[in-house]
Amino acid sequence: MSLFSPHVRQGALTALPLVIPAIPFALVFGIVVESSGIAAWVGWSSSPIIFGGAAQITLITLLGEGASIAAAVTAALIVGARHLLYSVTMAPHFKDQPLWFRWLGPYVLIDQVFALMSLEHHDDPDVFRQRFLAIGFTFWAFWVVATAIGIVIGPLVPGNWNIAFAAPVLFMGLLATGANDWRKVLVAIVAGVMTALLADMPNKGGLLVGALVGIALGAAMERLQR
Amino acid sequence: MSVLVATVLAGIGTYFLRGIFILTLADRQFSPLVLRTLGYVSPAVMGALIVSMLTTSEGTVTLGAAELGGLATAALVAARTRNHIYALLSAMSVYWLLGALVQ
Repeated sequence: MSLFSPHVRQGALTALPLVIPAIPFALVFGIVVESSGIAAWVGWSSSPIIFGGAAQITLITLLGEGASIAAAVTAALIVGARHLLYSVTMAPHFKDQPLWFRWLGPYVLIDQVFALMSLEHHDDPDVFRQRFLAIGFTFWAFWVVATAIGIVIGPLVPGNWNIAFAAPVLFMGLLATGANDWRKVLVAIVAGVMTALLADMPNKGGLLVGALVGIALGAAMERLQR
Repeated sequence: MSVLVATVLAGIGTYFLRGIFILTLADRQFSPLVLRTLGYVSPAVMGALIVSMLTTSEGTVTLGAAELGGLATAALVAARTRNHIYALLSAMSVYWLLGALVQ
């Protein structure tokens, strides 16, 4: 695969605008590391090692509060459990892919990569692979650098800007471009309402239950339609 | 040291959350019904994720006029223009504006 392939370049360009809403997240991460009392480089190392903002923030927060390794790791994995759904959804696209990509691809299968790749349909496995890796590693490079900067300047940003709202806005935009029929809109609304009703579940468990209820509704509608 | 151990464990765990089905099911033949059902994963998770991001660590969902206005703007602009930068800029403007007016 050439770094100069048009699919790689276009993939990187597709990802670039979407990194902007992640900037506040990197700043929030910086504040979390700073206030946890954990050494900055150790906190930052979670960016290349875990590469998942919500899981990193959960882990660092709990460890900073003195939680045990087992408790903090378990909570971080529960927060990241939605990735199981991404894994099963992406599996058919890896059918004609080489083994190295099946092992490397999951490392960068974050929310944004999943959302972008779900909007695309590629019959050519080479094109799929090049776009997936270009989008994934553009986010990776951004996140590794941005979280390092976030640790330095995050604690200096005034809290009343509410820039963290950029994150849900990004996912609303991705949802609106992907939900191309009324059933998908209904599924998204039901999943959101369920998550709101379960907002006080620990470790944001309502997210997973809400998503599963939405998917079950989608499955039921598909079955009834036949 | 223990923080680094926890980070590596969470990293391995996160990798397998993302990889387990790609590594085990990629060669399977999926039925059309299963494939169509998987089409609902993205909207369901995105819907849940948006609400989850608006939830404070105390378990309260922050969804006032400013948030609703911002999210509605993001959805409309993204659906119309399919441009995520326009959607972000207009949604954040509406959100800040409504936030300032409501206060």
